[in-house]
Amino acid sequence: MNRLNHLPTLKVDTTDKIAFIYKGKKYYGAKGDTVASALFANGVRIFGRSLKYHRPRGLYSLDGECSNTCMEVDGIPNVRCENTLLKQGMVIKEQNVKGSAENDMMGFLDKMDWAMPAGFYYNVMHKPAMIWPLAMKQIRKAAGLGKISPDYEMPGKFDEVFLNTDVCVIGGGPAGMMAALCAAEKGLRVILMESRPWLGGFFEYRSGVYKDRQTLHDRALHLANEVKAQDNIRLFTHTSAVGTYNNNLITGFQIGKKEDVFDERYIEIRANSVVVAAGCIERPLIFDNNERPGVMQIGCALRMAKTYGQLPGKRCVFSIGHDLGLEAAIELHDLGLSIACIADIREDGQDTVLLKKIADKKIPLLKGWVATKAHGRKIVKKVSISSIDGQISKTFSCDLIVASAGMTPVTGHITVALGTLKYDNHTGFFLPDQMPEKMYAAGRIFGLNDPISIEASGMLAGLKAAHDCERGSTGSLGEIREAEKVMTGLPGPVRGTKLVTAPVKGRKSFICFDEDATIKNIKQAIEKGFDVPELIKRFTATGLGPGQGGIPGHNLPLYVARYQGLPDVSIRPTNVRPPLVPTLISTYAGVNHKMFKTTPMDEMQKKDGGVFRNIGVWQRARYFSDDFSCKKEIENVRNNVGMLDGSTLGKFRLHGPDAVKALERVFVSDMSKLKQGRIKYSAMCNDDGCVIDDGVVVKQGENDYYFTTSTGRAGQTVEWIRYHTRYDGWNFAMVNLTDSLGVINLSGPNARKVLEKIVDIDLSNEAFGFSEYKEFMIADTIPIRAMRLGFVGELSYELHVPASFMKSVWIMLKEAGKEFKIQNFGVEAQNVLRMEKCHIILGQESEQRTNLLDVGLGFLWDRNKAEAKTVGSVALRQAEGDKTRFKLVGFKTENNSRAPRDGALIVDDKVRGYVCTARDSFSLNEAVGMALVEAELSQIGTRLEIYEDECGDDRIYGKVVAMPFYDPEGKRMKM
Amino acid sequence: MKEIQRVSPVGFKSTPLKTIKRDNWEVVMEYSGEGDGPWLVDLSHRPRFDLQDSNLEAFTPFGLTIPKVPGDCVLENGVLVNRMNGTQVSIYNLEAQDISMPDESGYTDVTESTICIALIGKETFSICEKLTALDFKDPQKKPPFLFQGPFSHVPCQIVTLSKEGDKSGLVLTCSRGYGRDMIHSIQDAGVEFNLNPAGETRFTNWIRIGSKIS
Repeated sequence: MNRLNHLPTLKVDTTDKIAFIYKGKKYYGAKGDTVASALFANGVRIFGRSLKYHRPRGLYSLDGECSNTCMEVDGIPNVRCENTLLKQGMVIKEQNVKGSAENDMMGFLDKMDWAMPAGFYYNVMHKPAMIWPLAMKQIRKAAGLGKISPDYEMPGKFDEVFLNTDVCVIGGGPAGMMAALCAAEKGLRVILMESRPWLGGFFEYRSGVYKDRQTLHDRALHLANEVKAQDNIRLFTHTSAVGTYNNNLITGFQIGKKEDVFDERYIEIRANSVVVAAGCIERPLIFDNNERPGVMQIGCALRMAKTYGQLPGKRCVFSIGHDLGLEAAIELHDLGLSIACIADIREDGQDTVLLKKIADKKIPLLKGWVATKAHGRKIVKKVSISSIDGQISKTFSCDLIVASAGMTPVTGHITVALGTLKYDNHTGFFLPDQMPEKMYAAGRIFGLNDPISIEASGMLAGLKAAHDCERGSTGSLGEIREAEKVMTGLPGPVRGTKLVTAPVKGRKSFICFDEDATIKNIKQAIEKGFDVPELIKRFTATGLGPGQGGIPGHNLPLYVARYQGLPDVSIRPTNVRPPLVPTLISTYAGVNHKMFKTTPMDEMQKKDGGVFRNIGVWQRARYFSDDFSCKKEIENVRNNVGMLDGSTLGKFRLHGPDAVKALERVFVSDMSKLKQGRIKYSAMCNDDGCVIDDGVVVKQGENDYYFTTSTGRAGQTVEWIRYHTRYDGWNFAMVNLTDSLGVINLSGPNARKVLEKIVDIDLSNEAFGFSEYKEFMIADTIPIRAMRLGFVGELSYELHVPASFMKSVWIMLKEAGKEFKIQNFGVEAQNVLRMEKCHIILGQESEQRTNLLDVGLGFLWDRNKAEAKTVGSVALRQAEGDKTRFKLVGFKTENNSRAPRDGALIVDDKVRGYVCTARDSFSLNEAVGMALVEAELSQIGTRLEIYEDECGDDRIYGKVVAMPFYDPEGKRMKM
Repeated sequence: MKEIQRVSPVGFKSTPLKTIKRDNWEVVMEYSGEGDGPWLVDLSHRPRFDLQDSNLEAFTPFGLTIPKVPGDCVLENGVLVNRMNGTQVSIYNLEAQDISMPDESGYTDVTESTICIALIGKETFSICEKLTALDFKDPQKKPPFLFQGPFSHVPCQIVTLSKEGDKSGLVLTCSRGYGRDMIHSIQDAGVEFNLNPAGETRFTNWIRIGSKIS
């Protein structure tokens, strides 16, 4: 196609050709083309087929308001080709066709509409139920918009940015630019978002006069340059606002340019105030075959010529209801388009200057006429028009019908932020009524058409938005009053047309292109009692497609009001929801940095073959071989010596005059008698007496304590203690040292021999006994806090080491342990070792409802420290005599069978409990575990029937036995 | 074991050009290819303290008056004092030599608890806005000021030291365990702005100028 290369409004460079593949053949577009405009330039008129009836579809809005031009681009389905810039080497395919878009074998469905009335699925597809799964598969094969594999990996680079600003302006047309400039002049930070790749909006592609011979296009350029010159305006072009929320949080996405580091990026803006200057889209004219390729909106036809240099057809009929239609007819006529006729819905009210030009150019104009039917099986061949009462009709041959009923304001940004709309009889618009706080509308959204009025309204909105940022100052109020006064002297909103549909029955008059919903379907829904748009939308699927309701928009409520003969349009448009403009899920995912904590030993453990798993916020070495039963790791600890990285333990300093009171409040034990050098194991409960945490407490000095918590609770501990002491006015301080100190658990019968080699203190059982705490230095440099504990049931030293020294101490221990063949052990080995010893892990041997007594930790609770008001003690007193509670029991499986899986159920004729942890024990040579069961099953010797997922009748049986299983007298950890 | 060495939670792939030993830390003073900024500097070896007391007015850490309003900070002689809330202050020794934790009760050495990094130079805040919604350029806030909030989804303390164009800069601390992933996310966000690791010298030179302009 030869392009119109002389126009100043062009956004394509035809000297720079871009090659692309369409249906396996190579074609060329121009730099600046969208995929749709490039295809159009290469003669493509049918871009795809519709969802339900497989009707041919073509260019319509040029702004992606419907799914007509959704295609598969580079393997990605549902790409909106009207909005997607052409790139070198793109591979473009039709979608939702069997055969081709031109010859779709499923096209026969268009004649089957009688079989698919409104609510077809609800009416037909539920009886008999057995048909539904089969029918659903067939329907899904026939319908749908594109296909993608669940394993598809999205190519491209996706980014995100979180911005703060004083004023955010949505829309880079004349009103938006004026608002931005006004706010910027006040020295405020301004963000301007424009969905097209350039500024200018409604002015940008038009040649009409703005003022004093300056064209609208020139004016747009002038304003755009002013905006770009302002340092305090951050300009985001090719950026769509997709959501507006409380406190003026605006979300959007930006399409990257070639030089950008992203293909798309998610944008989140926190603004003090917002101006919505999103303008209008056209209100589709409804007539028979109103979506046939060759029917397009005014803006689409005009911009195809002015922006992309392509005449949209050869011979055209206009059916319009707005002066923009007259202006477009004149411009396109001057560019060489033959215009057979203009059918203007309006009987009067047209711009007299435009009327004179049309008369001068001898373009036939019929006032009070409208298109009633587009003819042509696949593309437009001719059109029937009639007077709006349907009494007289004419037919014209043509390949293009420019059709539009008028304008519809883009109010989604306002209603999503919970602003309300109200029907205005003069404009025929649903106008903003109650605006959200600190949000202002501007421009054509009010029905303004005069360029000066549009700009003045932007200025006023900008001033109001700026005033919101002045924090109590009244400096701008005078300017606002002045701007309001100016507005009153300018032309106001123009009268809008009231016609919704041409005088047709509506069987093939589409109100929603995406879902193939016709006027007839709307009538069917209303006749079934669905009398408001929200119900009709759901019953007919109108507005549920990828166009996000752009096509049915305000036509739906207007038609519903008209069809029901309502005295006024009291009903409202359906709710629109974010994303107002569809985009890729990858864009929302953004960069998605994985943020996990690692211990100081992370790297060394990886070198030693550690297999890591994400455990809460941490990444921990769970295994040290491919044998996930951890046999060697376990046996090494039982018989020799092993090292575990326990750095994830919660660690805290609690100090100050009232420190012991705070400890007594949250721990169930009496902390007042704790002596320096001794370790106190205790637990914390919530107000229900349910055990939430356990750990050890040591006294470091006067009013100075150090305690540990479980890994999972560490992040909440400070808040927990502060919360439970909030009314006491106690003077104490807490410091979270979790990351400050690494922990090495040196365990096994040879642990002492290894540690002795690197420390200078007496480690004998007499000098450093079980449950004791010591502080010492290694090599006069590294301060160590050491605890004699026995979580895994062996002689153990828990060394708390400053994180930066961890690597040094770890290496020292490895070197010292070389002669004993010291080995690492991971979290799973620890889990088995402690389970054999029946030492519980909260969260594993407990759940939300498990209290301290249920898990056998009642001995920790000091009932006599009432003064401390221990958290959970009241509930524990009540639970003491409760015989209905679960009890933690130990069990062994019968007949040497394998251990059941964690979480398996204890059953008889109902569920009686569950397995907490169970493993095949290498130390005991049998399968053992712990389970929470109803009290009556807790007696030693009780037989347990264990049900695993999908085990059928194949149960595992066990017997309740005494705990602990391993070294019941505790000699090994006290050796 | 040849030598006891302290290991920073922050690791850069760049090659150190100049290092010194200090208190068992191997401190990188300069990296190769530091470029023209922005720069990311590891200060995790610099001492940091926590001070808590119900009567903070009675304390003058290192001779400095604690700011009254949470979020306000004071930077003098290389020591940064950040008011966190009614009873708590964080103190970073960013430059001063030979200072140790005061003997008074209430202080805890938290050097090991966190990573400490400086992000300085041009486009500092362009990098930040890819990782956090915090408003570093809020005209109402005068440096130095403290934010306690998420940065790359992780709770952080971030002190903005300067908002002045190419001389912009901030210091960030977060839990030590997040060191690897925090550095990765900042460096990833900084690729388009040519963010490079820099040695301590770059920071000390910057703070001597930056603290004057802020």
